[in-house]
Amino acid sequence: MSQTFAEGRDTYERESSGRFRISVDTGGTFTDVVISDERGEMSVGKAFTTYGRIFDGFIEAVGRAAATWRADAAHLLRNADSIIYATTHATNAVVTGKTARTGLITTKGFEDTLFYREGGRIGAFNARAAYPGPYVPRRLTFGAAERISAEGEVLEQLRDDELDRLRREIGEAGVEAVGVALLWSISNPIHEARIAEMLRDAFPDLPYSLSHEVNPIIREYRRASSVAIDASLKPLMKQHFEGLARDLEAAGFTGQCLVVTSEGGVQDLDSVASKPLLAVNSGPSMAPLAGASFAPTAQDVVVCDIGGTTFDVSLVEGGRLRHTRELWLGEPFIGELGGLASVAVKSVGSGGGSIARIDPGGLITVGPDSAGSTPGPAAYGKGGEEATVTDAAVVLGYLDPAAVADSFTLCLDKAEAVVAAKVGQPLDKTPEGASTAILKVAATRSAAAARQAVLEQGVDPRGSTVVACGGAGPLLGCFIADELEAHRVVIPSNAGVLAAYGAHNADILTEFNSPLAMSSAKPDLDRLQDALADITSRCAEFAGRFDTTIENVRVEYFVEARYPSQGWEIRVALGERFGASAPDIACAAARFHSEHEKRNGAADTGSEVEFVSWGARVSIRRHERTPRTGSGADGADVSPPRMAVASFDGVARQTPRYHGANLAPGWSTDGPAIIDESTTTVVVPPGWRAARRTDGSYVVDRTGREGNHEDV
Amino acid sequence: MRTSEFDPVLLAVLSSGFEGIVREMSDTLLRAGRSSVINMARDFSCSILTAQNEVLALAEGIPVHVTGSGLLGEAMSRLHDDIRPGDAFLHNDPYNGNSHAADHSILVPVFVDGEHLFTAVTKAHQADAGNASPTTYAPAARDVYEEGALIFPCVRVQRDGADVDDVIRMCRARIRVPDQWYGDYLGMVGSARIAERRIQRLAERYGAAALKEFVGAWLDYSERRMAQAIRTLPAFDIAASATHDPFVGTAPEGLELSARLRVFPEDARVVVDLTENPDNLPNGLNLTEATASSAALTGVLASLAQEVPVNSGTFRRVEVRLREGCVAGIPRFPASCSVATTNVADRIIAMIQRAFAAAEDGFGASEGGLGQPPAKGVISGTDQRTGKRFVNQLLVGAQGGPATAFVDGWPTYHRPVADALLYHDSVEIDEQRYPIVIRERRLLPRTGGHGRRCGGQATRVTIEPRFGPLTITYAVEGRLNPPRGVRGGRDAQAAGAQLFAESGQELEIPQVAVVEIEMGQRLVSTSTGGAGYGSPLEREVDLVASDVIEGRLSEEMAVEIYGVSISRGVVDHGATSLRRAQASETR
Repeated sequence: MSQTFAEGRDTYERESSGRFRISVDTGGTFTDVVISDERGEMSVGKAFTTYGRIFDGFIEAVGRAAATWRADAAHLLRNADSIIYATTHATNAVVTGKTARTGLITTKGFEDTLFYREGGRIGAFNARAAYPGPYVPRRLTFGAAERISAEGEVLEQLRDDELDRLRREIGEAGVEAVGVALLWSISNPIHEARIAEMLRDAFPDLPYSLSHEVNPIIREYRRASSVAIDASLKPLMKQHFEGLARDLEAAGFTGQCLVVTSEGGVQDLDSVASKPLLAVNSGPSMAPLAGASFAPTAQDVVVCDIGGTTFDVSLVEGGRLRHTRELWLGEPFIGELGGLASVAVKSVGSGGGSIARIDPGGLITVGPDSAGSTPGPAAYGKGGEEATVTDAAVVLGYLDPAAVADSFTLCLDKAEAVVAAKVGQPLDKTPEGASTAILKVAATRSAAAARQAVLEQGVDPRGSTVVACGGAGPLLGCFIADELEAHRVVIPSNAGVLAAYGAHNADILTEFNSPLAMSSAKPDLDRLQDALADITSRCAEFAGRFDTTIENVRVEYFVEARYPSQGWEIRVALGERFGASAPDIACAAARFHSEHEKRNGAADTGSEVEFVSWGARVSIRRHERTPRTGSGADGADVSPPRMAVASFDGVARQTPRYHGANLAPGWSTDGPAIIDESTTTVVVPPGWRAARRTDGSYVVDRTGREGNHEDV
Repeated sequence: MRTSEFDPVLLAVLSSGFEGIVREMSDTLLRAGRSSVINMARDFSCSILTAQNEVLALAEGIPVHVTGSGLLGEAMSRLHDDIRPGDAFLHNDPYNGNSHAADHSILVPVFVDGEHLFTAVTKAHQADAGNASPTTYAPAARDVYEEGALIFPCVRVQRDGADVDDVIRMCRARIRVPDQWYGDYLGMVGSARIAERRIQRLAERYGAAALKEFVGAWLDYSERRMAQAIRTLPAFDIAASATHDPFVGTAPEGLELSARLRVFPEDARVVVDLTENPDNLPNGLNLTEATASSAALTGVLASLAQEVPVNSGTFRRVEVRLREGCVAGIPRFPASCSVATTNVADRIIAMIQRAFAAAEDGFGASEGGLGQPPAKGVISGTDQRTGKRFVNQLLVGAQGGPATAFVDGWPTYHRPVADALLYHDSVEIDEQRYPIVIRERRLLPRTGGHGRRCGGQATRVTIEPRFGPLTITYAVEGRLNPPRGVRGGRDAQAAGAQLFAESGQELEIPQVAVVEIEMGQRLVSTSTGGAGYGSPLEREVDLVASDVIEGRLSEEMAVEIYGVSISRGVVDHGATSLRRAQASETR
């Protein structure tokens, strides 16, 4: 490579390198930033998240990244075009209940909608599982005597005296926000609109949300949950975003501030502040996008993001993310449901800290409980007394006590002792044997979750590409790929700041939908025409708010449909051109049949199709900025790897350990090999071959042959 | 502890593999299913049998399906000596191991290297089974002929992977919603075929020999876990009893049911004896061998303090004694078993849970809500909007669940045979799908039994026809014999069905009926609450206060029943202590 990261050019050149783009991901512990300039220089920074004032941690992380340009944080902020902000603030507030005191107005007779949820539970026979209360307590839920029919007719007028009563009760309840979710407001919003008018008149400063605006979908629980969560976040998120905007302005930032949403893209700060539900569950939406960008030519990519306690898996198909409306916060069925079409990410309790045990029947289990970060795995030496995946990796020689930097060291003795006591002895195995068993079971469990997540979308993971990221992903990636029968594993170069990296290039996007039900056998083309025209003009209006050119705007239509009497809809893409014509309807039905066949293994092509809701996703592509190289090495300075013992499949072997920082693009080796990166360790088992690519990522392919590698 | 000789890592890997397969079967059917009984009520089960027809793996599903599939496999082996790859069998014969005629089972034998090693079984309740009336629940049917379902005693429905059209035509000719049935059939066969492919893949990877050895090791492991769980129980011998409300064909005072339950912790063995129950009745309440044994096992499994794997290994530790020709045993032809999956089975499960609780605090549960009020009934008619006929099960309101020693009952419980695993309908989806208006769906305060842990509250649903008359078939149970509390917990409140004319006048309707509702009339469905566990005087004051604030309890009842003095949401702790002390003394 002719040009690399930083060295050797003067300050003037750096400063003239143009406008900066800064993406920031404020997580529970760390704030990550990725910064690029117009010439393709890219740098990352990390700092602790500062809860009181998010800006402090942000500016510190920016300052660290700014060293690349020999500038300070202030300089970068003043010369930045855009800041892309990803935050877990909204999600955390919902999960911990630290939201506004919120009232909910429902149709009278349906005040318990939030309490019922949609039924279902995981695991019969659990005598200790408690049923949770509703998101808005019953005492703050108010029934309005009114009724709209499925077809949108007014069956019962919302009378003035009823509005007066609501006004009085809302006033007395002392709420800080109000959600309104009436039955069939999606067919006729007149009563929700009247309540909104009353609220504006009576309580001009009280934030409110209407269900037909926030999430116009059929199913009263989902709409009520969406609107309750949205309203409950309004005071908090308004304050949060205003604070950030003020801090940025004070720092001299004059560009555009974008916020990451659960839809898998970004929107302007004002839009998200006025519909904060968009920020809920936005956390996991970026890694899939970023991960898949490292495998641009692969058809099916399984992104495995593995941290200390959680394994997040998602499928990216031909570069397209999948979406779901069923992303629960907390446990499925009894948690809270945001209800927007969010990036489909499945989370299971499995990671580096997962605890291995022998159950009373003699079966080895790994997870879902985790040693967390305190006390953490026994190898951390912070008092952990359970055997974890990390401990097993230390015993097997994958994680090198000597190679781990600054903050803490890993203790082999402790790892060995705990693995021997908790797993080795009961199974009559050596610590190495027990560790092999732990990793095998951990990989099997993770692969089972990944397989399920991918099969749900109708894709067989065999032959797919696995993108392994997160602290423990590169460690386990090849083992999981083995279980999935996938042949390629990609380790992204920015594996440690992947969400911020994803946000860096994410599209500006949103979607609009119109719940217009009709059968493929008897389509109402006139009403469909109106609905599509409305959707299209809203997409155009959205795009018009941003400074862009028409080539960068894409509108993709979709429909949510089912066979008659099915309980659940599936979403079917309709492409960029779709109109209200008989051939278009026939095409939509055909696409539904094939999608149903793909996902559920059968299609009933003789049956009519019920279309439930029509919509479009509008996205604006931003100019992509990718690192010209993520590797600091130019190949000139290659020190030979250190040889150390690592155990694979029960065989201890002399294994080369490389420093990732020394490996230039084009470098490759057969497994077994281990590569130490600053935030993670890549394990290349025998039968796999690793190569470094120009963007700094690694691609690890299954060769099926034992390595006869040469030391570099 | 000694473990089996089988490689413990492979044991973990393969058990997770089979678990993944049955889950995939189950997910597929849930998404592809057409009738609400499948896609909302989750009234289906997916399992894998061994070559010896033992249950090896069972996807999470509603409890009444717990054991059934082993008997289905036995029937297949008994009736067919020409089983080959590509076969599938349709089985719904209640006298040959099936649960009841409305459950269609699909069995796909799985061959590995030419050997029949496993059988994939998918069983699902159908929206219609060709019964005499437009419902799959016919409690009043005098015998199987009057019930009227088409019976398929494990007939071949696919050969070489293709439908046997004769059988498909028979179903389409008789089942009221043939397209919906065929859609469900496709989903069921698809689900079983997925298992076939995945098992064969597993065999390619690990070898047929390893799979065969695994089967034994896994069942042994499960048996060990069950044995350990039983060793933690107290030893006891209890005769439990309950009364099912009077139905057509029962004595006027109802149906007396009993179970003798013996726990032998030292032998790690439980014996459930149902043989003392009455002979087969001339109605649809009779259990089948599958549902009688499932009910007994469910009652036991639901009462343990720890979770165990559920398969034939586990079942070895529970002996279920059944008698032929008994209402809660093995039916004698032509006794009707139309509602074998619900009514008597519900009572058996609930009485066993209660017996465990009576034996020792910390185990078992109170009795949960029962029956099928109109909001869970079968709705049928013609939709004036489309001119089409419809038959489907409503699931718009749940029952209150039983309280355990640890938690209050769930409000989304359906009935003992189903637990709270079912989904319930969206009101909007129901109104879009059927020509009805649902006027209310609300929790009824004070319907769950009081206790240290309270029963789940009941739900009231009011339904009106939108464009013209329609029919709802339902069977209220627990009205005269509501769920009973345990260890000082109170009984739950009764359920009911009521019909009101446009004028507001209440019209007389039976509690077990096929009712036609005219325009302007309103059908009010009230489910049953769950009963309480432990004395209300032991309920934490904070919880009582929160019950009052959330409107589940009045201030008067807080004092009278719970001994908690509370006024305008503020607890008087002094008065409360005094009152609770006095109440405890007089107890």
